[in-house]
Amino acid sequence: MAFSFQDMVEEARLSARALIDYGEHFFNPTVRLGVTGLSRAGKTVFITALIHGLTRGGRFPVFEAYASGRIARAQLAPQPDDAVPRFSYESHLRALIEERRWPSSTVDISELRLVIDYQRPNGADRTLTLDIVDYPGEWLLDLPLLQKSFEQWSSESLALSREAPRAHLAADWHAHLATLKPEAREDEQATLTAAKLFTQYLRACRDERFAMSLLPPGRFLMPGSLADTPALTFAPLDVPIGGQAPDGSLWAMMVRRYEAYKDVVVRPFFRDHFARLDRQIVLADALSAFNSGPEALHDLEAALSGILDCFNIGRSTFFSSMFRPRIDRILFAATKADHLHHSSHDRLEAVLRRAVTRAVARADDTGAEIDVVALAAVRATREAQVAHGRDKLPSILGTPAAGESANGEFFDGNTEVATFPGDLPDNPEPLFNGTDAFRGLSTQAAEKSDFRFLRFRPPKLERESDSEPTLPHIRLDRALQFLIGDKLA
Amino acid sequence: MNDRSPRRPATFRLDNPDVVVTEADETSRLGRATIQITPEHDPQTLPVPIETALPARRGFRWGALFWSGLAGLTLLGVGLGVTHLIEDLFARSESLGFVGLALAFVTTLALVVMTGREALGLARLATIEKLHRRAADVLASDDHKESRAIVQDLIAIAHQNPQLARARAALKSHTSEIIDGADMIRLAERELMSPLDAEARRLVSSAAQRVSIVTAVSPRALFDVLFVFVASLRLIRQLARLYGGRPGALGMIRLLRHVIAHLAITGGLAASDGLVQQMLGHGIAAKLSQRLGEGMLNGLLTARLGLAAIDVTRPLPFAALPPPKLSDLATDLLRRKEDEE
Repeated sequence: MAFSFQDMVEEARLSARALIDYGEHFFNPTVRLGVTGLSRAGKTVFITALIHGLTRGGRFPVFEAYASGRIARAQLAPQPDDAVPRFSYESHLRALIEERRWPSSTVDISELRLVIDYQRPNGADRTLTLDIVDYPGEWLLDLPLLQKSFEQWSSESLALSREAPRAHLAADWHAHLATLKPEAREDEQATLTAAKLFTQYLRACRDERFAMSLLPPGRFLMPGSLADTPALTFAPLDVPIGGQAPDGSLWAMMVRRYEAYKDVVVRPFFRDHFARLDRQIVLADALSAFNSGPEALHDLEAALSGILDCFNIGRSTFFSSMFRPRIDRILFAATKADHLHHSSHDRLEAVLRRAVTRAVARADDTGAEIDVVALAAVRATREAQVAHGRDKLPSILGTPAAGESANGEFFDGNTEVATFPGDLPDNPEPLFNGTDAFRGLSTQAAEKSDFRFLRFRPPKLERESDSEPTLPHIRLDRALQFLIGDKLA
Repeated sequence: MNDRSPRRPATFRLDNPDVVVTEADETSRLGRATIQITPEHDPQTLPVPIETALPARRGFRWGALFWSGLAGLTLLGVGLGVTHLIEDLFARSESLGFVGLALAFVTTLALVVMTGREALGLARLATIEKLHRRAADVLASDDHKESRAIVQDLIAIAHQNPQLARARAALKSHTSEIIDGADMIRLAERELMSPLDAEARRLVSSAAQRVSIVTAVSPRALFDVLFVFVASLRLIRQLARLYGGRPGALGMIRLLRHVIAHLAITGGLAASDGLVQQMLGHGIAAKLSQRLGEGMLNGLLTARLGLAAIDVTRPLPFAALPPPKLSDLATDLLRRKEDEE
């Protein structure tokens, strides 16, 4: 993409902002932790568990500063941005602990500031401020659009929608698209219909059976306050890349709205929340992709690498920290590791490692530190061995959410079950080769698929005296140690 | 895991009449048709021992500055003295002067080489200590990448020991497999450390035995003390060499400090480790002969020192293998003694 005037203005804005931040952080060290993840990856649960663990005392043996007692206290503080809603930690926590349900899907951006008082190993008292941002995962998919023109995006979206599992979901929209002539006069009604059908197609792809990840533009799925504005009323057209839209045509109108979408929605989002991150954790739910099929896994891989291209990764230097902060540590986390027996966690990590190979290679070149971990911010299950006939199955025990089904049987949300989700392969490579690597819900009936990861309800916690119970987790402490451990040294 | 075709997913309701939930340590025989579910103990909820690091030394190290200054002054004084001596020698006779100069050169050269060796020895000890700490960290954090780095370093240190050639090759072949970080460290410990541990145990028990015999028969207390001291030094040096260190004189001082510090920290544990029982149990022997009892006690103390030295010089913490216990060594000691008598 050519380096336009607009980009230069944008860069200047980012640098000015970074310089102001630098001045503030000089007296009050702050870490902006980016909790990144596609929708349903578990960002909200991760943030809630992190805050709860730090403020109320969790079990974090690997998080050195915490385990050795150097963190005196961590408390919530008023957030820095006045225009952004507060992350409603208390209600999410209530949902988790008392109602035993997962927090509902995030619909708007929110923010929270955590102030950690700690003592350095040499005895000096210090304070670290941790800013955490939560937002709908769908919006993240917009970031790659910044690099793309309307024509490029159109042709990519169309090509994608003509692939196997998506094609019949997109049939209605394709039929309507065939009636549109890009060079014809602009037509509001046709555009509205196209946008509606396109949105329906995106929604259908997100269904549990298909679990597609790569579904830009994200605001179509989660419009927030912008619903029905022209910036959200457009759809891909069958136009050549590099073509020139005639004045007054439908095509020109779509291009204009696409650019407006980028200006109104994507750029401010990127500027306010992503351009200034210091540390990043990328949460990915590989298990629902396993449930669905190889296409979903491919999609996840493509979505992750598209997003990671947008970040400014590299070792921080004095200059960069003043004008253009860089992300110097990235943790890729395969969430919901509690849905698997711990003997398979390494394999889950291997799958995620394979899915982010390209991003890892790029980050390695720039000197940023990278790690991959299988974690569960809130652990919903226990482990068990199931002896069935001659087989011994490493399984997990838990209460499936109401409406989940296995063996053609639906659960009511109160029955406890033991489930063996299937063997992850030793070598992740074959999973990514070809579309028939394994069988999932997108092509098969539930009884025939190779993996079945049930969704479990949050665990039942026993309260000791009147204090709030600690949330069990898997490797959340290791994630914390990697992400902020060195800042607390 | 294996070459069998992947197992199918399966789900069982706990309220199904065919399902039996049993405890982990129960081994009940059940019919084929039933499905037996055994909840596992949760490794995450088990208490994790955390070593609390002592508060780091704070502020400027005046002591170090003092010793450096003093050493510098001494060196200058010695240099001045030697220069004067050589000048005097030249004044008396030219040939004497040259002999003096040559001797001075040889001395300096030897000093440089010795210093270099000491420095290398210290660096090596430091590497081993650091490896020990890193391995302990990985055992807690289960870090995949770091565990591979540790195994590489360990193999490099063990490279000088020809007995470990096969173990090293086996370990290298495992590094690329999918093994959890902590498990990798345990594997390395089993492969590389078990032959060394056996040898270390032999060294400690033979040293303890020697000490106990010599103190039992020696005529004077002064000899006892001297012998115990020499034997302990020898033991520590042997153990350090066995586990890959090459301590020189300074290295020995450093090691001795660590061993004694370790002994002081774990001294409390020793009481529960069976020392008391051993001493009481064999108090009868002491009643029979005071000398025999003293010898026994000295032997046990040497063994205790040897165990502390093993902890300090071993590049990996004891995780997969059981640490040698004083009671084992003491039984060794007594059995042999009784055999001889």
